[in-house]
Parts: sequence; structure tokens; C-alpha cells
Amino acid sequence: MIYHIFKKELLDTLRDRRTLVTMLIIPILIFPLTLNLFVSISSSFEKNASTEILKIGIIGDKNHFLAKELNEIPNEMGKKEMVFFKDSTHFFNALANDSIQLGIRTNEDFNSALKSMIPAEVSWYFDASEIGRKERAENYMKIIETKAQEQRYIDLQIDGRKITPFQTNYNNVASDKKMVGMLAGGILPYIFIAFGFIGCMYPAIDLFTGEKERGTIETLLTTPITRWQILIGKMLVVVLSGLVAATCSLLGLYISIEFLDLVENQELLKVIHEILSFSFLIAMFSLLIPLTIFFAGVMIPVAVYAKTFKEAQSIITPLNIIMVLPAMVGFFPGIELNFQTACIPVVNVVLATKELIAGTLETKYLVLSFLIMLSLAILSVLISFRQFGKETNILT
Amino acid sequence: MIEVSNLYKEFPLSKKQQKELNTNSNIAKAVENVSFTCQPGQIFSLLGPNGAGKTTTLRMLATIYTPTSGKIEIAGIDAIKYPQEVRRKIGFLTGSTGLYARLTPIELIDYFAKLYGVSNQQRDQRKKYLFDLLNMHDFSNKRIGKLSTGMKQKVSICRTMIHDPEVIIFDEPTSGLDVITAENIIKLIGDCKAQNKTVIFSSHIMSEVDLLCDELAIIHQGKIKHQGSMADFRNQMIETNLTAEFIRIVQS
Repeated sequence: MIYHIFKKELLDTLRDRRTLVTMLIIPILIFPLTLNLFVSISSSFEKNASTEILKIGIIGDKNHFLAKELNEIPNEMGKKEMVFFKDSTHFFNALANDSIQLGIRTNEDFNSALKSMIPAEVSWYFDASEIGRKERAENYMKIIETKAQEQRYIDLQIDGRKITPFQTNYNNVASDKKMVGMLAGGILPYIFIAFGFIGCMYPAIDLFTGEKERGTIETLLTTPITRWQILIGKMLVVVLSGLVAATCSLLGLYISIEFLDLVENQELLKVIHEILSFSFLIAMFSLLIPLTIFFAGVMIPVAVYAKTFKEAQSIITPLNIIMVLPAMVGFFPGIELNFQTACIPVVNVVLATKELIAGTLETKYLVLSFLIMLSLAILSVLISFRQFGKETNILT
Repeated sequence: MIEVSNLYKEFPLSKKQQKELNTNSNIAKAVENVSFTCQPGQIFSLLGPNGAGKTTTLRMLATIYTPTSGKIEIAGIDAIKYPQEVRRKIGFLTGSTGLYARLTPIELIDYFAKLYGVSNQQRDQRKKYLFDLLNMHDFSNKRIGKLSTGMKQKVSICRTMIHDPEVIIFDEPTSGLDVITAENIIKLIGDCKAQNKTVIFSSHIMSEVDLLCDELAIIHQGKIKHQGSMADFRNQMIETNLTAEFIRIVQS
């Protein structure tokens, strides 16, 4: 009997355009579209940066020490053009209206300081809200400074190595997989949880509140099937929709990587292939299934209680924020899956997925997270049944 | 056969509902001490104004609601103890019944046949009989959402009758229907009687009751105000017409 209810509800759900859009179309397209957009924006930024001529303003003339040094720096870092100012008023006006992108100002004793071999003060000006300008200034200055320093070693007849006590190397021993897990591992569970929730939302409202609103529940209750069977049959469709939505988001990610060539870095591509393995998917879904049942179990009592589609939507939408907000924990570095965090629903799934990607997941915490989510899923099913069994809830 | 004795139904009232109804009581008595018997081959009508307790009574017969106290026996089965068994014996049709708009009539009828445990062979025979009878073949593969009210009503009738129930419960079945569509229901009720089925239907339209019923009970504020045969009702009338007599009894 549950199968017949499940089959009918699935057919009904698949014929609902709104559910199809949230369950299949948006999750499949979200990754290709956002990644494509991201890649287009960053490549266009890079292209602009390589073709854009950066105007560097300096108070002084073409014989200024820094102007000569800057002119000697090749254009590999980006094209540049020097603009000279006689006074600071025009200089700052030009900075304010962006007719120059970087500005250099030195003190009057700049040349004498250089000659006296004492630190000569240099002030750089830039709009830090524009990406890359501060870095350009720092890089130019580093080159000029290194060159000046080497010249001083020669002038003072000092072997530079003698006043450099250490040659320090900082080596990252984390695997590429772990690095990807740490930097990007929070995004995947976040997307999974967000789509798992949204995927459950419309079918839950449609199959419970919708049935009440359309007046079809009454006849269903007069057939020789128990309310348990009705609830489970419908709930399975809600859970499946959430899982399909989450899986479609993963499928979208796979399409972006495999067919749209959005990831050009071969090393990174290798790591991604390594992450998206069969065992990863098994572990991922073992967490996602109880999580989606839990989502369905949270939404169904609301959908059963609500009298109209609008009422159900107005209660479930804020729930979305409450459920998906903890998923953002994956974006913060330093929060790890331990005994405490494994006991927090949603947070445990996010952290477990993140560590799964990084390859640092401990089995005991995976099992604990799974058991916590499973207990909550069972509890939410029981609450759903209690609500669905109430006479005052099921009929308007 | 339907046998109802000393039936009571109370609903809990929330604080908000108590305020709305201006009462201190935390329960609402929807049905109080209702008893009646419906015989096979006869049409029993439950007549009453809106909010009288007709729908609550019929929902208890259909096992959607559990009575607070009392006894319901349908086709010889205790409906409170064995609701699942009783549901196999009943067909339930209301005027406000909705249908799954995204399914076709064939899909919907097949679904309900499965829920009632009808075998495939029996289902095909019943489906053919009902589709022929109701002239449903032309729209059997169209989505229900695209059908006219009359077509939808035919689908509802077919759904109610697919498992050939012994007892049929009609809750204001013609409510909101035009005269031609309502005629299908009137005909169905008559056919059920001819097939020796037990029929109970609720209405507040006296002309419908006059046309169809053999026995009637007038219910008001959850209590039976009058009960007897239609023939006796006509003979003992004080007022000049049936509607006026109905109003007199309700207001007495």
C-alpha cells in the first residue's frame, strides 16, 4: 500500500512544474551558472588587469629617483604610465577622481636620506576598495627596495649574506586534498543542505497542506489504508525530492568540472576527481539521508497544521533560514568535528562532509553524527505522525 | 446496513476558539446522543441546517473521525474497533470532494482501486461498466484539472463506486453543482437503492429529500429533532410545504 501511495504521489509531484524547477532544474544549473559566472568575471578581471594602463602619479619630475626606478621595472606586472605633479593639491585631486590609480609622495629630504644611507620615507596612495592596487604598490616597492638594498651592500662593501642570519623555508605538508577541503570544503555541504531543504519544501506543502486545501484528503482517509501508510508514502516522496535536489546540485558540479572545462588547473582537477569518489558519495549520502528525513519531519507537522499553502510557506520559509544558517559553519576555519560538534544537528553533517573532502574524517565521529541525525529523523517522523493523526489538523 | 446508537462527538477548543465562540467551555459538542438505523435498499436522509452536525456524523460513519462515545455498526462490522474493514464496505462522496488535478481519470480510478484492494480483473470490469454508464471514455486520458465540473463529478462518482461498496455515504453531494450535474448524483443515489445498497445522504435541500428518501432524520445543533419515514413526515405535516415544516421542526 505504501508503494501505491508513494508511486501516485511521485507521479503527482513530477507533474508539478514548481516542484520540478526547485527539485531538478535550479540545482542542476546552479553550479554551472555560478562557476561560469565566477570564471568569466575573474578571467575578464585578469584580462583587464593585463591590458589596463595603471597611472602612477608622483610629486616631482621625471628625474625623481622612484620614477626612474619604476620605469626600469618591466611591464610583466602590468602596463604603467608615470604622471608628474608639481604640488600635492593636484596630486590628491587626481587620486580622488581616479585619473591616477597609484600615488607616490616623498619628503623633501628624500634624496639626502638616500645619499646619507638612512631610511628615506616613501608614501604610497591608493583606493583599497579597488582589487589589486595595494598589491601592485607593495610589489613595485619591494623590487625598488631590494635593488636599493643591494646597491648599499656594494657601496658599503658588505656581503649581504653576512647580515642575513637565517634562510627560512616555510613548507606546507598538507595534501592538496586537505587544502581543497579546508578552503572549499564548506561550500559543498552548504549547497547540499540548502537544496536538500528547498527540495523537500514544495512537495511537503503540496502533499499535505495542498491535499487538505484541495479537499482530496477526506476521500483518501475513507480508503482502507492506515494513516501511518499514508504518512510514510507521502514522506518518502518528500525525502526523495530533497535527495534528488541535493544530488542534482552535485550533478551540476560534476557537469561544470567535466564538460564545461571551468577548472583549468590540472592539479586541482586531479584533487577534485579524487574527492568525488564512490566511497565519498556513500559516506555523503549516509549523512544526507537522515538529514533529509529530519528536514521532512520538521516540515510535515507544519504542513499538516497549516490550513493553506500560503500559511505553510510563511512558516516553513523562516525555518529554512534556521536550518541552513548552521550550515555556514563550514565556511569558518578552525571548527572541527569532535564529540561536541558531532552532537549538533546540521553542523555535524557540514563538518563531517568538510572533513570527508579533506580526508581527515574519523570514523567514530561519522558514526556519532549518523546516529544523532538518525535519532532526530525517527523523532521527527513520530512527531509528524502525531500531527497527522490529529483529527483537527487533517481536515479544514 | 448502518446502525448508530448514542453517538457523541466532542472537539477540543483552543483558547482562541473559546474567545471566538464566546464560551468558557474547552470542548464543543458537535453531535449529541444520535441514534438511527439505515436499511439496505432504502435511502436515509440526514437533514439539517448548516453546522447542525451532519458532516461530523457522516465523517464518523466513514471512520474519518472517532466518536467520543457511542456505537457505529456498518455492514455488521464495528466501525470503531475495525475501521479498516469498514472502509472496504463504504463509498464516500461529498459535494466538496476534490480530485487530483494532475492525474487523469484512469490514473485516479486505478489508484483508488489499488487502495481498496480491488483485483486487476475486477478493476477492469468495474471501470468499463462505470465508464460506459457515465459516458467517461472521451475524457478518460485528460488531466482532471482540465475537465469541466460535470466531468469531474462523474470521475468522483466512479471513484466512489469502483470497489462496488455495500454502503454509500453522500455528504451534501449536490452542493455547488448545476442542475444537470446534480442530476447525475440524483440518478446515482436512485441506482444504489435499486441495487439494494444502503444509502445515507445529508442535505439541506428539502426537494432533494422529498424526491429520494425513504427515511429521514432532522438534526439541529447536534441533536436529532425528528426521525421517521418520509411518508409519515408528509402525512403529519402541520405547515403547508416540506421546507416550511422542516424550518418549523428545527425552530421548535
